[in-house]
Amino acid sequence: MGGLIGPDEIRRVTGAALELSKVDGVEVLVMHEWGGLTRFARSAIHQNTWSEDTEMRVRVVTGGRTAVAATNDLTAEGALKAAKHAREMAMVAAPDPDWPGLAPAAPAQEKDAFDDATASVTPEARAETVARLVAACPDGFHAAGAHETGAMEVVLASTEGQFCYAPATQTSITTVIAGGDGGTGFAETFAGRIDEIDATVVGERAATKAASSEQPRDIEPGEYDVVLEPAATSTLVGFLSYLGFGGRALIEGRSCLSGKEGDLVAAPAITMADDALDPDTLGLPFDFEGTPRRRIELIRDGVFRSGVTDRRTAKQSDTESTGHALPPPEPEGPFPLNVRMEPGDASMEELIASTERGLLVTRFHYSNVVEPTTSVITGMTRDGTFMIEGGRIAYPVKNLRFTQSILEALTNTRAIGRDLELASEFFFSASLVPALAIDGFRFSSVSDH
Amino acid sequence: MLQHAKGAVEAAHAAGADYADARFVIEDSESVTVRNEQMEGIDRSTSKGLGIRVLVNGCWGFAATASIEPADVERTAHLAIQIARASSRLPIEPVRLAEVEPVVATWASPMQEDPFNVALEEKVALLMEATRRMQLVRGLTYAEAGLDFYRRRTLYASSEGAAIDQTITNSGGGIEGVAVADGEMQRRSYPNSFRGHITAAGWEHIPRLGLIEEAERTATEAVELLSADDCPSETMTLILDSGQMELQIHESIGHPIELDRVLGMEEAYAGTSFLRPEDRGSLRYASDIVNITADATLPGGLGTFAFDDEGVPAQRTPVVVDGIFQNFMSSRETATTIGLPASSGTMRADGWSNLPLIRMTNVSIEPGEGSLADLIGDTDDGIFMSTNQSWSIDDKRVNFQFGCEIAWRIRDGKLAEPLRNPNYAGITTEFWQSCDAIAGREEWVLWGTPNCGKGQPGQVARTGHGASPARFSDVQVGVR
Repeated sequence: MGGLIGPDEIRRVTGAALELSKVDGVEVLVMHEWGGLTRFARSAIHQNTWSEDTEMRVRVVTGGRTAVAATNDLTAEGALKAAKHAREMAMVAAPDPDWPGLAPAAPAQEKDAFDDATASVTPEARAETVARLVAACPDGFHAAGAHETGAMEVVLASTEGQFCYAPATQTSITTVIAGGDGGTGFAETFAGRIDEIDATVVGERAATKAASSEQPRDIEPGEYDVVLEPAATSTLVGFLSYLGFGGRALIEGRSCLSGKEGDLVAAPAITMADDALDPDTLGLPFDFEGTPRRRIELIRDGVFRSGVTDRRTAKQSDTESTGHALPPPEPEGPFPLNVRMEPGDASMEELIASTERGLLVTRFHYSNVVEPTTSVITGMTRDGTFMIEGGRIAYPVKNLRFTQSILEALTNTRAIGRDLELASEFFFSASLVPALAIDGFRFSSVSDH
Repeated sequence: MLQHAKGAVEAAHAAGADYADARFVIEDSESVTVRNEQMEGIDRSTSKGLGIRVLVNGCWGFAATASIEPADVERTAHLAIQIARASSRLPIEPVRLAEVEPVVATWASPMQEDPFNVALEEKVALLMEATRRMQLVRGLTYAEAGLDFYRRRTLYASSEGAAIDQTITNSGGGIEGVAVADGEMQRRSYPNSFRGHITAAGWEHIPRLGLIEEAERTATEAVELLSADDCPSETMTLILDSGQMELQIHESIGHPIELDRVLGMEEAYAGTSFLRPEDRGSLRYASDIVNITADATLPGGLGTFAFDDEGVPAQRTPVVVDGIFQNFMSSRETATTIGLPASSGTMRADGWSNLPLIRMTNVSIEPGEGSLADLIGDTDDGIFMSTNQSWSIDDKRVNFQFGCEIAWRIRDGKLAEPLRNPNYAGITTEFWQSCDAIAGREEWVLWGTPNCGKGQPGQVARTGHGASPARFSDVQVGVR
């Protein structure tokens, strides 16, 4: 089940909303998604699901007033009904002096992001993939995780004549292998196509880490040099995207980067950009206002270049939208979702070898903001934390809580890994990031496992 | 509309399901937000669809569709069965469901005035006035006010004969003032952070919140925090207000007692729990003045219902009694796994497109005695923290750290100077065992957490937590 509806049919449906009378403008965002997720625990499949849904969000503009009505009834009648609801609500709203208008018609770059095979993976195939991963478990260990295959098509249509259509597929495998005497290891992979992921590789990576992390030793909190694997780097990048690069936070002075354009905010080796068009990221070629996306340099050679905007924040800062609007209404404002940090030249072995005494961190867990304007966040290590001594992995340690400024950590970055991985923060989308070697990373307390 | 769910169950049964249940769910929501007397957003959303869950040879399958056309329902039922058969490639121990009496019932959460029938003009006017009053405070960067309303109608049927029509309405609102200056940002929220105070009620809940009456104080505190001292880094006596107690309970008691976490079913994502099945009746979770209950029958809570999404009646379950851990929150499957005779009735799904998971009901601390003023008056030296700002806890729910919006130093039984950027950290059982006072019923508030995340695909649940302010000794505060 599931399958592309296609631009022609969606154009017909959304057309019913665009023809709404007595308004100045209408914008319709359609997101049609389907897919399956096979979840496993203790090396058995325990939750196995599939769903298909379509969300249609209709924004109506009248006299500088706007409102949004959403429905999952993807019919012409459903579109018109939602549009009428939005019009009724907009009539009550106060005029918005900062309303930037709907996005003008402009072509978005096409991105080859849809794979038929990924869109039609069967439950049997997902189960077989999970079985290959589970087979990597050593005796006395078990695997938990999820394997997802899904597809979506997104349309943005408006009375300004804009019509963007993008289909995309996505798949992932995430696992924690645990067992023995307190051993636990994590690995994950994301891709746009099913033939780009290998469950055996993921399973073996997690299994190796789990087997080597048994009997974790006690450790004291304090400052340690660290080597962050890409999954841990993605936590820093994900939270910096949220706290730092958003146009609204920058304008309101509550970003950790407010007033720092042109300043050195990270080590000179750090360069990162948001680039949904990069074939290795999972981004769409247009944002949720219909503005075509383009590469935006965020930090170059350690210098903060610019944040990202949607149409509202662009108007407020007298610039053009960078194409980073979220689905309306967007109370947080725009922020980048497809960040790529440029790689360095060090292998993981070299990063570890360059660390005289420190910690190797596989990933962070349940991180959250402590002080937004100084980019201080806190979170826990998880699923493989190791002491490095004399440039070698010495022994596993129990999990620690970090409380650390992201910008300070990026400033103290000593070396950057040469391999990029698409890695996810717990709450954010995936970033394309390398491993990092960072000096003086602060750990404020420890846990018991 | 129960026929949609019944038809799905019949289709699944005919196609080979040993057990099937189905939920036809209609969800409506409305969110209105004003910032600085300008509309930030008016958003109404409606969604409906059907989720079908089946057991085949002891393995689960689930499929969901937005279409209720008979052919689509039949196809979705067959897909659920195909998925269940695929699950047998790596089978769990065959699922055994704890017994439950099939119920035929209709229930709706009580309310006096349907919030979806209240004129939008009235809602907007309230929020405009609240932000206007906040903006009168010099130095405030922005004032925000919001209202949220949710309605979920669930029509549930099972192959055991249950047929339940249940409608739950939630209403809530709150205000927030943010002050920014010299690289510092301070925020104050009322009645609570993260969209305010939301309950199972109608529009009548909103005027009682006092959003306009509390606007000036809320904004003033945000501005005054800019020039306050930072919370000191010390180990000291800590008093938490009931709003922060809400999240302390949620994260360090509510999640650890979810039996699916204990059994490893969430291990790779949200994590597990430090609790083990054998800890029931013996583990000292807290000091002997602490009593915790999970109560889905409490009037007005976000975790209040008549039946869960397995058709199990709502229950009141003692979780911690006199400081000793007693009971988990369970499902029909997990109850039998550890030998319990029945589910505690906590399975809830986020809409029609997700399968039900064990979710907190109203997990609350029972009140003690006295007022908050009594608690503070009885404290020579300490710190009082109010209103959650951030949270973080490890994968077994042991090591936690919370940030609050504001704190005050307590000296000689009185609140002294305000302190900004307060936070505290601890180890779950050590922290709860250090609880030496809990305020009484008059300070007890049944709060709602509207954004509890769990599961893959990710689900969001609304949970309830009743709490009075409480005092803890020797807590690490001001973590840097």
